[in-house]
Amino acid sequence: MSKKLLEVQDVLVNFGGVTALNKVNLHVSEGEIAALIGPNGAGKTTVFNIVTGYYTPTSGRVIVDGESVLGLRPYQIARKGLGRTFQNIRLFGDMTAAENVATAADSLNKSGLVGSLFGGPRSRRDEAASMEKAHELLRFIGLDHRALQMAKNLPYGDQRRLEIARALALNPKVLLLDEPAAGFNPQEKIELGELIRKIRDRGFAVLLIEHDMSLVMDISDRVSVLDFGQKIAEGTPVEIQKNQRVIDAYLGVAEDAS
Amino acid sequence: MALMKASAFNLRDKFGDWWDGANSAQRTVFRIVLIGIFYALPMLNNPIIDTPETSFSSVLFYPLIMFSLMAVGLNVVVGKSGILDLGYVAFFAIGAYTHAVLSIHTPLNFWEILPFAMAFAMLAGVILGLPALRLRGDYLAIITLGFGEIVRIVAVNTEAIGGAAGLTDIPGPTSILGIEFTVMDPRPYYWLTLTLLLLVIWGVIRLSHRKPGRAWEAIREDEDVAEFMGVATLKYKLWAFIIGGAVGGLAGAIYASQIRSIQPELFTLNLSIMILACVVFGGMGNIWGVILGAVILGYAPEKLRFLSDYRIIFFGLLMVVMMNIRPNGLMPRKKREHFQEKSK
Repeated sequence: MSKKLLEVQDVLVNFGGVTALNKVNLHVSEGEIAALIGPNGAGKTTVFNIVTGYYTPTSGRVIVDGESVLGLRPYQIARKGLGRTFQNIRLFGDMTAAENVATAADSLNKSGLVGSLFGGPRSRRDEAASMEKAHELLRFIGLDHRALQMAKNLPYGDQRRLEIARALALNPKVLLLDEPAAGFNPQEKIELGELIRKIRDRGFAVLLIEHDMSLVMDISDRVSVLDFGQKIAEGTPVEIQKNQRVIDAYLGVAEDAS
Repeated sequence: MALMKASAFNLRDKFGDWWDGANSAQRTVFRIVLIGIFYALPMLNNPIIDTPETSFSSVLFYPLIMFSLMAVGLNVVVGKSGILDLGYVAFFAIGAYTHAVLSIHTPLNFWEILPFAMAFAMLAGVILGLPALRLRGDYLAIITLGFGEIVRIVAVNTEAIGGAAGLTDIPGPTSILGIEFTVMDPRPYYWLTLTLLLLVIWGVIRLSHRKPGRAWEAIREDEDVAEFMGVATLKYKLWAFIIGGAVGGLAGAIYASQIRSIQPELFTLNLSIMILACVVFGGMGNIWGVILGAVILGYAPEKLRFLSDYRIIFFGLLMVVMMNIRPNGLMPRKKREHFQEKSK
């Protein structure tokens, strides 16, 4: 069995009296595309906010590549290998596409402010490496012609892809994609599916939150289903499609049937 | 594309295009000429730019170049990193008092005290920043406002540094490179400040184009996302405070050495607001914009002095009209975009 890069163990999250996640277990293994689905409000984005350190779980553990990341600040967890995108696009709007990616790439080097000011050889090398990485990733994602445009002026689809490039600049062990296909037309969804596969083939494991079932079923190796903060099913796309609890969660259960 | 260019205010693009096309020799010549003009400014004796009642060269030192230096420092905090600081005058005061106290009570001269003035202001930045920078937005602004007031009130109530009466007979800088710093002639102080301002500009631009600049901008754009992208936000916000503080302390030390006597009343909230106004008026985040803002907001009240107290009304009117015409400031922060055809 391949190595687990991200593990969520028995995570419980209470917001006041509301249980957002109830003893959830998830994992993402090396080289796989895992999907997380569920109706609106099921707690999918909460999972992302927990594993990236934005929220602290009430109980439970989050393990990245064998190390617990509980209590670490989000930037430290990001450097350990989690890159994420956002459901509603959150780029650095007044920065160019290349700078957006370079900002994330910067966090992989240890150059400090004093070094940048006086321009030692290390900061020079790190600076060149960040820009090089930014342009390389923009080429990979097909946005190299946009490198010097402001992120806020890019077309919608390019903004979504730029977010992915920015997250990849962290060299993440697991790439967390939060509804990357939202607002895409069928053709764009197909291209996105190909892109995600390409990302996986480059050696990044992917955890995908997505509502578009044809995309999820097409590219995922394994699907987990959340409903009201509980994991109700996990399996291959084929198994999930046949699972009665999943069907009930999405379509509702008729009163007289139960 | 042609349409877009035509609709924009063109001076900036014209200059930008020329600058992009210029070779390094042309750029160097341009820089030298421009810097030369600024060094020559106090030699001008022109009735159009002269200010009534005060000599132009003393206006050039205070407020113009002092405001410019402070605006460049505050711009790192407010414009680059998006942290609203309403107590910037505290750093200016700390620099001024450091020079005053050390020059009176120790044998150190101005040049030896300068690093101390900056270091103390930086330390104040850390002391203020470590607890305060965990907060955001309005809460942070209120804390900085309080900090500015605390520093002033401590000065008023500490007899060892003169209390409300302040300190007098502060020595000026010792002569350097054959230039004498006297009470009567403000020009050497202007040249000194201009030289240091140019160094500060060099440093800030350098940082802006590199990793720290990107980190600051990312924090300004979206602090949470910056953190998710691996930016150590607290560290870079603290650095912004430290650099802003150092520049404020530097300005304070020069100021104290020129006016020779300081009182806590020189360091009120009004001055913080004034410098902030320079930054906002000129264009937050654009170093040339904030300098232009400082020059205009420093110069206008002096030039309008013939209106006596009514000048404040005109000054207010000028700000209201300008902020309506150009809400993002005179020279807003705007990167020039470069459009390329898709390569495939």
